[in-house]
Amino acid sequence: MKLTSVQSDAIQELGNIGAAHAATTLSQMLGSTVEMSVPAIKAIDIAELGSYMGEESAAMVAFELQGDIPHGGYIVFYISRESAIRLTNTMLGLTDMNRAMNEMDESALLEVGNIMVSAFLDATAELLGFIMLPSPPALSIDMAHAAMSSLISQMPEEIDEILLFSTELVCEEHKIDSDIIMLPEPTTLAKIVELMENMMKGI
Amino acid sequence: MIGIGEYRVGSFPMMTIGLGSCIGLTLYDDSLKVGAMVHIMLPESAGRTDRPGKYADTAVPTIIKELNAMGCKNRSLVAKMAGGAAMFEYFGANLNIGERNAIKVRALLEEHHIHIAKEDVGGKVGRSVTFLPANNGKFSIRRADGTTAEL
Repeated sequence: MKLTSVQSDAIQELGNIGAAHAATTLSQMLGSTVEMSVPAIKAIDIAELGSYMGEESAAMVAFELQGDIPHGGYIVFYISRESAIRLTNTMLGLTDMNRAMNEMDESALLEVGNIMVSAFLDATAELLGFIMLPSPPALSIDMAHAAMSSLISQMPEEIDEILLFSTELVCEEHKIDSDIIMLPEPTTLAKIVELMENMMKGI
Repeated sequence: MIGIGEYRVGSFPMMTIGLGSCIGLTLYDDSLKVGAMVHIMLPESAGRTDRPGKYADTAVPTIIKELNAMGCKNRSLVAKMAGGAAMFEYFGANLNIGERNAIKVRALLEEHHIHIAKEDVGGKVGRSVTFLPANNGKFSIRRADGTTAEL
């Protein structure tokens, strides 16, 4: 579906509220300030996904969106491999950057992803009165394109173009750069747009 | 660079990056030094024809046809493939698209009497592939940790 500028604004606002809550939880976990970007909305043809996400190594904690719509798409906590090590080092009190990632890193990343995505979805549910529950998390630490394309392959409705909402969360002190990326499938997107439009009309 | 659902046929260098559950399939004719590469996303097209490279059941016949048009005989074509991984364990249970992709591609190649010389398929790992038809069909794989392998 093509979004009008009003619809884009509405979704940006929703992303803003969700990401602000997620940023607060990240800030509490790190004991440090976290800045967030203005949410970006990108429509990407699947053949062009490589120009958005390539071979770089990243950790991705992915959740299926469930609840009012059973297979509503995905929401992902994305963090580059380097930032992921800085994040778990900060949490675990380590300093070595040139180490392999182990099970402890994996469970820390799953936990951080879980807390942030839950905060994001709680905030949006409260705003919209529309429940999107996260599935249990799944983690991939590998090529970003490989993980993201695998999620897109699993989308219930078959699509050639994905709409992706991402908000960047940055912690300057620990040089941690991460994103929350939402890939709603078309039914979810239509529902969100409808609810946001109603809200802005004051219904 | 060949994106998801795209394919190329010829003798020039071809590359596709970040295969997860997708399959990077190449067919190569050693006598003519030409080949084809396709980045397949899903096993079944269910009647869709607008992106033949996206689905195994349309991609395989399409690249064979184009290679035939360039003078390649099916019996002189050799296949190699990589990908078909399950990047996220939890979602793997009933949705192992990578495995289904690989099974479908193998069945289709057999149907067209094309031999699979080698494959690097499955696991929980992303792969990028470079294919050089002019250089004896050299097929190299690169993984996220920087390791490379030749099929």
